[in-house]
Amino acid sequence: MSQTPPPNEAPVSSPCRGNILLAEDDPIYRWLLQSQLVKWGYRVVAVKNGLEAWEALQAADAPQMAILDWIMPGLDGVELCRRIRATEQGAYRYVLLLTAKHHKEDVVAGLDAGADDYLTKPFNVDELRARVHAGSRILELQAALIKTQGALQFEAAHDRLTGLWNRGAIVDLLQREALRSMRSGQPLGVIVADLDHFKQINDSYGHLAGDAVLCEVSRRLIEAVRSYDYVGRYGGEEFLIVLEECAAADLNATAERVRHHIAECPVDIGTVQVSVTISLGLVCAIADGPDSLVPEDLVRAADSALYCAKANGRNRAETAPIMSQAGRVGA
Amino acid sequence: MVANHQVWQRAEALERLGGDEDLLRELCQIFLEESPKLLLTLRQAALAGDAEAVMRAAHSFKGELSYLGAEEATHAARVLENMGHEKDLSGADATLVSLERQVTELCLSMKSARGSRQ
Repeated sequence: MSQTPPPNEAPVSSPCRGNILLAEDDPIYRWLLQSQLVKWGYRVVAVKNGLEAWEALQAADAPQMAILDWIMPGLDGVELCRRIRATEQGAYRYVLLLTAKHHKEDVVAGLDAGADDYLTKPFNVDELRARVHAGSRILELQAALIKTQGALQFEAAHDRLTGLWNRGAIVDLLQREALRSMRSGQPLGVIVADLDHFKQINDSYGHLAGDAVLCEVSRRLIEAVRSYDYVGRYGGEEFLIVLEECAAADLNATAERVRHHIAECPVDIGTVQVSVTISLGLVCAIADGPDSLVPEDLVRAADSALYCAKANGRNRAETAPIMSQAGRVGA
Repeated sequence: MVANHQVWQRAEALERLGGDEDLLRELCQIFLEESPKLLLTLRQAALAGDAEAVMRAAHSFKGELSYLGAEEATHAARVLENMGHEKDLSGADATLVSLERQVTELCLSMKSARGSRQ
């Protein structure tokens, strides 16, 4: 009978509980830990020293949980723990330190270095299982939290109906781009667009049809602008588009593309096809020193141009004079 | 089996392993294979006067022996570890001899326990 390393994979019958990095230089403890973890359904990456552990943790799909022996050649458990915490980004790593008996001060140093829990050798396998499961539960909770947080962040910044940026988010983006434009001196384009006679669509076909039109128009807006432009729902049927590094000629071309893409074929709302057009107000701003671009002024100027487009017959784009110099309308 | 109690605490080790006899048997098997290597490492480190290496090997040994409840051997390993830590290997030879004797007895005891079971 010769020593056979335990398999890395859990038996097919048991569900996979997650991956664990196991760093232990002692062959007996390594074997014992690995065989038990695998038995309990964990997938184990076992290494023999701290440097190998550090290397394994750099992998993109590195385990979220690490069981580290305190004393190892190369890089010991505490130093490794410190490194893990110092470079941590994104998801949290759960670290379980293995310490020797009679070294209570080690435990304090280990926890100070960022370990989540510790286990004293010689440990009982039931205690090992309980502690590893506890860590696993914390990681599962964390994964659920991160998912929820992502969903909340999306909801906080996006319009529920259309999926476009919502008013708060698009105004923030405009502010950010205005600052950037002032630093870079590159022109900034702003478009305020408003669907023509949208109230009639709602009145004739109902609000659900109106919602369907808004969704389809949003899709076409995204298709017509450049991939790095920002499109937000500013109000009911009003949209705000922020175009970075966009000179007047490009801005006009984009606006015309948007107008045409929305008017070219009617929107299918299930029962009928509804013809939709949009009017656009444009402003191209060129920064002339710090504080020269005020987001509110840009929106106001684009709004005035939109008013002209409406007055001049709708389904058209009108351009405000190029803005520069401390937010005043210049030549 | 009664004689084994002085060398190692089989029941204690079994309890640590959740009462898993198979696991204990495999653990003993690995110890039988690994302990001669570890003893050799210790002996060479002591001969070379490498306190750091003595400390590391003794520390490993101590962990394994304590798992098996081999108290006297664990003690000897701890003394060696401390010697390495203090960088004073003057009494290492005597302790090493004592550790070797303990480990040899432990291995014999494991082998006889294995024999009686099969």
